[in-house]
Amino acid sequence: MKINVNTEIALTYLLSRPKQTIVASLGVMFGISMFIFMQSLMKGTNDYFEKSSFSSTPHIKLYNENIVANLHLLNSLPNDNSVKILTNPKQVQQNQGLTNPYGIINSLYKNPEIANITPQVTAQVLYTSGSVQITGTVAGVNIVEEDKMFDVKGNMQQGNFLDINRVNNGLLIGKGIADKLSLHVGDNITVRAGTGSAVIMRVVGIYATTIKQIDETKSYASLIQAQNLLGKDRSYVTDIKINLKDYNNAPKVARDIETITGYKAEDWVHANEQLKAAFKIRAIILNSVIGVILLVAGFGIYNILNMTIYEKIKEIAILKAEGFSGQAVTSIFLQQAIYIGLMGGIIGIIVGYLVTLMVSRIYIGAGTLKYLPMSFYIPHYIQAISFGILTTIAAGFFPARKASKVDPVTIIRG
Amino acid sequence: MAEIALHASNISKFFYDPVKIPVLKDISIDVNKGEFVSIVGKSGCGKSTLLYVLSTMDTDYTGELNINGTKVTGKSLNDLARIRNSSIGFVFQFHYLLPDFTCLKNVMIPALRLGKLSYKEVEEKAYEKLKMFGVEEQALKKANKLSGGQQQRVAIARALINDPAIIMGDEPTGNLDSKNTGIVFDLFQKLSKEYGQTIITVTHDEDFANKSDRIIEMTDGEVSSHGK
Repeated sequence: MKINVNTEIALTYLLSRPKQTIVASLGVMFGISMFIFMQSLMKGTNDYFEKSSFSSTPHIKLYNENIVANLHLLNSLPNDNSVKILTNPKQVQQNQGLTNPYGIINSLYKNPEIANITPQVTAQVLYTSGSVQITGTVAGVNIVEEDKMFDVKGNMQQGNFLDINRVNNGLLIGKGIADKLSLHVGDNITVRAGTGSAVIMRVVGIYATTIKQIDETKSYASLIQAQNLLGKDRSYVTDIKINLKDYNNAPKVARDIETITGYKAEDWVHANEQLKAAFKIRAIILNSVIGVILLVAGFGIYNILNMTIYEKIKEIAILKAEGFSGQAVTSIFLQQAIYIGLMGGIIGIIVGYLVTLMVSRIYIGAGTLKYLPMSFYIPHYIQAISFGILTTIAAGFFPARKASKVDPVTIIRG
Repeated sequence: MAEIALHASNISKFFYDPVKIPVLKDISIDVNKGEFVSIVGKSGCGKSTLLYVLSTMDTDYTGELNINGTKVTGKSLNDLARIRNSSIGFVFQFHYLLPDFTCLKNVMIPALRLGKLSYKEVEEKAYEKLKMFGVEEQALKKANKLSGGQQQRVAIARALINDPAIIMGDEPTGNLDSKNTGIVFDLFQKLSKEYGQTIITVTHDEDFANKSDRIIEMTDGEVSSHGK
C-alpha cells in the first residue's frame, strides 16, 4: 500500500492521542447529527403543512375577478376628441362564470407543467334543517377528479363520495355541518342558493378535513347539481382548479395562465402567504441553531489542533529541518482536521439517521397528525457531511498555517 | 584538488534585538568532500549561528552559499526544504526523534518525503542503516523508549538515509556520556573515512574536535583559524 508520508504522519499523530481525537470528532458528530435531525424535522413539518394546505387549496385557482371600471369603452368612440374623466370608479360586477370553460381547460392541458385540471361551480348557500339555518358554500365538482387532487376519499367519515354522481340531489357535507344540523347519511337537507329556489338534497356522505372552517361550511355536489341550485346552464363554471407536477412553479405558471386566459389565476403561494412566512422563519431558526453548533464544533477542532501544535512545535521544527516544506507541514495538520471531520461526519450521519428514526416514532395525536412528521431526505445527509468537513477545514486551516510558519532555527536553538 | 562540498563566501549576519549586533563577520570557508570538520569556539562566538546559516535553515544573512556546486542563497523556502531533504543530514544535541513513531519510521520519514524509493526499499534501507549503528534491535520500539545514546545513533541513521552530501551536527555529543560520545565519534569517523561522507559539526568537546580532520576556530563572529 502506498500512502503519502504526510498522510502517514497525520494519522500517526491522530492515533497516538486517541482520546483527543475522539473528543474532537464527537464535537463534529453532534453538529452533524443535530443538523440532520433539525433538517429532517423541519422538512417533515413543512411537507406536512404543505400537504394539509393542498388538501383544500389547488396549486392554482382560475376565476373571474371583478375589475375596476375604466375608460376603455369611452375612449374607443370614433371621431371624438374630448377628454374623458372617470371620477370615483367602482368595481364592476362581472358575469360570474368563466366564458368557454371547457375550451380553456382543453388549451391548458397543452401546458406540460400541468398535472390535473378540474372545473368547479361555487355557490353561496343557506343550509336549512328543521328550524336551524347556517350559511356555507356548495362546490359543484367532478368528484373523481376532485378526489385525485385533494384526496376526498381519505377524508371520508361516512358514506361513499362517489354517490353524489349516482344519487339525484346527492350532497357530501362537512362534519361540522353534520354536527350543527344533526344530520346523518340518508337524511334530507334544504339548500338555497342566493338567487335560486330552495332544493331538498340528500346527505350521501360526511367528510372531515383538518381545517374546521371548511368542515363547517363546505359541501360537495355534482357540477350539474350546483348549476341547478344557481339556476344556471351547463356551461356555467366559476373556477378552474389546476394542480401542477411541481407546485414550486405555481407563481410562474399562474402568471402565464393569466396572460393567456385573461382571468385571475391565484397560486397557492399568494393564497397561503402565512404558510410561506412560517417556512421562512423556521428556516432562519434552524440555520442559526445549526450555525452555532457547527461553530462550537469548529472551535473545538481549532483548539485541539492549536494545542497539538504547541506540543509538537519541536517536532515540526525537526520535520522542517529534515526537508518538509511549509506546504507539507500545512498538509499534515490540515489532514488531521479533515480526518477528524470525516470521522465525526460519518458517525454523525449514522447517529442523525437513528435519532430521526426514533423521533419519527413519537406519537403526537393532534388532529390528523399521528406521529411527529420527519422526512428522510438524502440531500440533507450530503449537505450535513459537506458542511461538517468545510467547518473542520476552516477550523484546521489557521492552526495548520501557524504550524507551517514555525521557524526551525529558533525552535531548535531554543 | 579535492572536490568542494560546501563553499561559503563573505557570510555576514546581524542580530537586531535589542540593538544591531554583528554575529558573523565576513566569513568565508570551504569544506571538501569527505572531510570531517569541527567548528569550535567559545559560547556566543557565533559557531552555531554559522552552522544554521550553512544548513540553509537560516536565510537571514548576506554573502553567498554554495552546496555541491549549487548556489542556494536566494532560493525559495520550498526549494531550500527540498535541498535540505536530499543533500543535508542533521544531528542535533538533543537527538530530536519524533516520539510517536518507531525508530524505523523516524529513519524512514526523510526518505519517504524525498519519494525516490518505494516504501519497501526505504524500509530496507532504513533497516540497513540501523544495523550499521547497532540499533536494529530497537527498530520497532517507540523512539522515546530508547536510551540517549541509542537515540542519538538512530538520529545519525536518520541523517544518513537520503545519502546526503553533508552531515551537520550541532553538538551531537553534547548530551551524551563519554562512552556514548566515543561511539558517536567512531561512527562519524567511520562515515568520513570509509564512506567518504562530508561532516561538519559544531562542538565544545576538545577531544572530539582534536580527532577530526580539521578544526575551524571562531572568535567573536570571525574565523580565527581555518586549521589547514
